[in-house]
Amino acid sequence: MIGCYVTGILPRPKDLVEITRAYDRNKASIKELEEAFTKATKKVIEAQVRAGLSYVTDGMLKWQDLLRPFTENLRGLNAGSLARWFNNNTFYRKPVIVGPLHQAEGIVAKIAYIELMPKNVPWKAVLPAPYTFAKLAENRFYRSERELMFAFAEVLSEEVKSLAKVGFKYIQLSDPALVYNPFEESVSKDNLVDVKEALRITLKNANARTCLQTFFGDFAKILPEALDFPVDDLGIDLYETNMKELKEHTFEKGVALGLIDARTSLVEDENEIVKVANEVVEAIYPSKIRDVFICPNCDLEFLPWERAEEKIRVIGRATKILERGYW
Amino acid sequence: MDKLFPTQEIGSLAKPAWRVKAYRGETPSKEEIAEAVEWGRRLGVENFEALIKMLEKPERTGEYKKAILQWSALYAIRFFEKAGLDIIFDGEQWRSEMYEHVVRNTEGFKFLGYVKSFDYRYFNKAACVGKPAYTRSFYVEEFVFTKNNTGKMIKVPFTGPYTLADWTFNEYYERKAAAQIKDFKKRKSYARKEFIFDLIKEVLRPEISRLIEAGAKWIQIDEPAATTNLSNEEMQLFVEAFNETVKGFNCIFSLHNCYSNYKILAKYASQLRNCSQLALEFANRDTIQTGVGETRVGYNELKAFEENGYQGNYGIGVVDVHTDFIEPPELIRDRILHAAKIVSDPNRIFVNPDCGLRTRKWGVSFAKLNNMVIGAELARKILQ
Repeated sequence: MIGCYVTGILPRPKDLVEITRAYDRNKASIKELEEAFTKATKKVIEAQVRAGLSYVTDGMLKWQDLLRPFTENLRGLNAGSLARWFNNNTFYRKPVIVGPLHQAEGIVAKIAYIELMPKNVPWKAVLPAPYTFAKLAENRFYRSERELMFAFAEVLSEEVKSLAKVGFKYIQLSDPALVYNPFEESVSKDNLVDVKEALRITLKNANARTCLQTFFGDFAKILPEALDFPVDDLGIDLYETNMKELKEHTFEKGVALGLIDARTSLVEDENEIVKVANEVVEAIYPSKIRDVFICPNCDLEFLPWERAEEKIRVIGRATKILERGYW
Repeated sequence: MDKLFPTQEIGSLAKPAWRVKAYRGETPSKEEIAEAVEWGRRLGVENFEALIKMLEKPERTGEYKKAILQWSALYAIRFFEKAGLDIIFDGEQWRSEMYEHVVRNTEGFKFLGYVKSFDYRYFNKAACVGKPAYTRSFYVEEFVFTKNNTGKMIKVPFTGPYTLADWTFNEYYERKAAAQIKDFKKRKSYARKEFIFDLIKEVLRPEISRLIEAGAKWIQIDEPAATTNLSNEEMQLFVEAFNETVKGFNCIFSLHNCYSNYKILAKYASQLRNCSQLALEFANRDTIQTGVGETRVGYNELKAFEENGYQGNYGIGVVDVHTDFIEPPELIRDRILHAAKIVSDPNRIFVNPDCGLRTRKWGVSFAKLNNMVIGAELARKILQ
């Protein structure tokens, strides 16, 4: 199929921003806050449906950062200090691991706005990948980062199971740390073997389509190993990836092409997006085309909502043009 | 300076409630006016009774607004003088905020709205939608006012090019580069450089010229975003941007950076040309026990700057701007002595808060600065 979706946390629409700011200064009640979240969630779901996305998320508007639902709800860790979210002017709270991670079934399924999800479009959920979680946490308990990664993979496998159970058909694992290499040292081959095993553990019960979404770095750096990862689709940030190297590989899985730049407010020209998508598709699928998804390169949360919405519409339109070319 | 451990501030000081309300044309509450009276007396602000009269009868005129800014700047100047600092400015009382103030006064920018910083905190982010153009000065008036109202040495905080660009969406240059560069990654990187160097040439250097013409002797380039992107390419860009900004001017320049990756900054600091001082944040990373040596973990990274060959002066952060804890003079003394030990020459050490004090109440800020001055004096006595 040729499809499309968003890849993470969406920005909060203006009304919700205002209420959260007021709440932060004790000028709005928890009830007003909850109502504003519900209203805004409806809005961002509708925007995705209207734009014709193939899978729809609930927008994850409550997520303070990609790790927070776990930082706040898992046993065995505490919320630590604020730290920079990769190379952005945005911050996340470091999970501090102080004991064995306890599986708590359905953390994400519990906070998802299931009742607001559309009936006629399949649902997508997003989780932090085990490698990124282990990399960003402060490990004071496990003997190694590797051990922590496997422990978190076990926790995640329960999450994946519960998400599929409540009806999510597509599960994305976000893995920016796997490709983010400011010092140009790639993840070692041994590490990639471990990552593959952690993904296997995470997705062992996945009764849904799965994707490993990488961003903020060069996907070509984890090739060819990533081609064997136990997921259906591989997500690539095309604003950070060496295109020439990428095109030298042949894929047998689906791809999620991060062609919409969530870190600039300039709205893309859909024809250019389609042109670049075609070039990549022709290069990586020389004989048989697989599933291709058009998506933002990372979470759209870096933009004001209005701009993100425009970009979601571009994603929908570009996908339709691309689809016409193949079917 | 002719004495050891000169004391300085970094930039911002909280805006008093009376300043915020009166500027908007609202009447401050009785308590807020009482605060203006109390601080006026305490700081010995000359003729502050005239301000009190103004506060009781707010007007919505440009003249009134400006008078309020001047009063608030005067209070801040007296505040720093009274706390005993050697090098001062006006607490950035004329500026809404370090980023917005410059962007609002420069052509080519458009605010797009709030984007998330963390949790329920956001910042108002602008896009560059046209070539930046200098239409009016944004720092000169406040500088001249400060100069006319103090006999102390003045250091002007000046938001740097790398930070302005990093905190702005780069629409104009990315659109422009799209016609020439096909590869997305190369396009963005090219557009970023063009944006930064245009901003320096068209806006920042003209403002520095005007400041120097008006008598500024020391400008502190504020670059909180300096280590947002740790890649060599981006760090080089930050260094080149600094060097290009200050190139050829007859003025002292320094750099302020905080809450950053100092291991990386240290590697590049010696490439900053005409940078007489690095004002850095350390207290936030430190313990609060007195003593010199192991207990001073917060100052470990000062070593990295030394090891990487930086030869200029340091402004070391000795009070934390994110807590109300009032650092005792003895703790400040020990932080200074510890830093002096790491840096072989104590003459290279200036003393300051970690960052601007805008998030602290005036009473807390005053107590912190006052202790900082006493702590510096204690350290001076030991070494002299």
